[in-house]
Amino acid sequence: MHERLSFHIKRDSFLHSLNPLTKLVLTLALILIAFTFPYYWTPHILVLAAIIPLSLLGKVFREFSVTALRLIIPAAGFLFLMQAFFQPVGTDIIFKFYFLDMTMESVLFAFRNAMRVFVMVSAFTLFLVTTHPSELMSDLTRRGLPGQFAYVIISTLQILPQMQAKAQTIISAQRSRGLDTESSFLKRAGSLIPLIGPLVFGSLVEVEERAIAIEARGFTSKQVKTSLHEVPDTAFDQFLRWALLVFIIISIGLNLWLS
Amino acid sequence: MNININNLRFTYPTGLEALKGINLTIDSGEQVAIVGQNGAGKTTLVRHFNGLLKPTTGSVSIGDWETTKHSTAKLASRVGYVFQNPDEQLFSRDVLTEVSFGPKNLGYAKEKIDELVKRALSLTELNDKTETNPYDLSPTWRKMVALASIIAMDTPSVIFDEPTTGQDAVNVGRIAHVIAELKKEGKTVITITHDIDFCAENFERVIALAKGQVLLDGAAREVLGQEEILAQTYVDPPQLTRLGKRLGLKETVTRQEEFISAIARRA
Repeated sequence: MHERLSFHIKRDSFLHSLNPLTKLVLTLALILIAFTFPYYWTPHILVLAAIIPLSLLGKVFREFSVTALRLIIPAAGFLFLMQAFFQPVGTDIIFKFYFLDMTMESVLFAFRNAMRVFVMVSAFTLFLVTTHPSELMSDLTRRGLPGQFAYVIISTLQILPQMQAKAQTIISAQRSRGLDTESSFLKRAGSLIPLIGPLVFGSLVEVEERAIAIEARGFTSKQVKTSLHEVPDTAFDQFLRWALLVFIIISIGLNLWLS
Repeated sequence: MNININNLRFTYPTGLEALKGINLTIDSGEQVAIVGQNGAGKTTLVRHFNGLLKPTTGSVSIGDWETTKHSTAKLASRVGYVFQNPDEQLFSRDVLTEVSFGPKNLGYAKEKIDELVKRALSLTELNDKTETNPYDLSPTWRKMVALASIIAMDTPSVIFDEPTTGQDAVNVGRIAHVIAELKKEGKTVITITHDIDFCAENFERVIALAKGQVLLDGAAREVLGQEEILAQTYVDPPQLTRLGKRLGLKETVTRQEEFISAIARRA
């Protein structure tokens, strides 16, 4: 009954109150700096000095920790293992597992890459959690982003939670018809068909209906549209965006200069 | 098979307390309508009857089974539940397979399944559509397929979640007929509805919910006459009841025959 239509968590925090574009620039800045700043410990420092403080500032530390533990750390950990074993650098073997060698260099290399990925996914997670998608899109279209593009982004952000909610209803409906979704694996594998059919078909119907609905409201009209909802953009937001831009340029500049 | 609801409270993971202490007994063979404004807790309540939701505190039992001790797949043999939107449950290539899905899950013998499916199809007037893909049918007929797919499970109790929403008069008539037939077979029918005229014409007992609590519970005529109390949950009495009141009839009337005979007596 209470379907979440996006990853957004409504809170009253400083991070929530920033302009969406500022948060988008902040996210990109964190990612670009983590990947380009020519200092080995950059991504590690960013996690401690930016990602974690930001999650506290956005009052979403608890939710963020859960996501990080369940999703981001396992993914980054997997990446670490793959790269640590398969990166053919260095000669100083510190660990051997059958034919797989782990060298000091490959471990360091893998550790940094895993942390970079961690920063990237975390930054996006924080962005999605603290920014309502429709606020982001109304701000970006106001700045001249084409509506079609906004639609593609917003529907991508919303489709997963929507499908999740839909899947939940379908599972409930089929369980009410005696479909066993809780017992043995074989039984559950067989019970997928009654779930996938309505989900795929329903999603296709929804896409069509949504297209008709937004067109009925003049989606492709060339006129300049007004918005009922004003997204605030303060002087501080503008300052922050320029400052972040300067950081990005310095980071990329140093990277190019030193390489 | 009685349904016993004992001091049921339910809080969603979001923290919303949807049911705040419900006590009800629904006897075997009763025809019950549940009314109330959006968010009153109607769907939350009936989803406890087949274990889709489990009580936060309190208990719900279907006959001798407490819902917390059995899976929904198991409870489905005692309580059938027709969801509001048929598109959320139809998946088969033809109507016959779709309607057989439920009874097959319940593990009935083949002859019994054939018999149950045949009866469900004739009750819902789908006999000539067994080979059709449900998605080639109009929304009103898809609704009938959804109804048939639950009726074929031959459960002692059947729940309908807003069966008449978006249906034309002919199909509302068909649904009323299905409910009357189920009553003849001695089955319990529980229906959530916003269609108060439909409620007045087809149900003996009406339960009005408001903000997670039972506001009114009793014979349809008694409940539907309480205009002021029903207004608390944004339910209007049926048109005939209101007309009767305005005309100054002494008794509460809910159905056409009653109205006509009351007017005739007064004249």
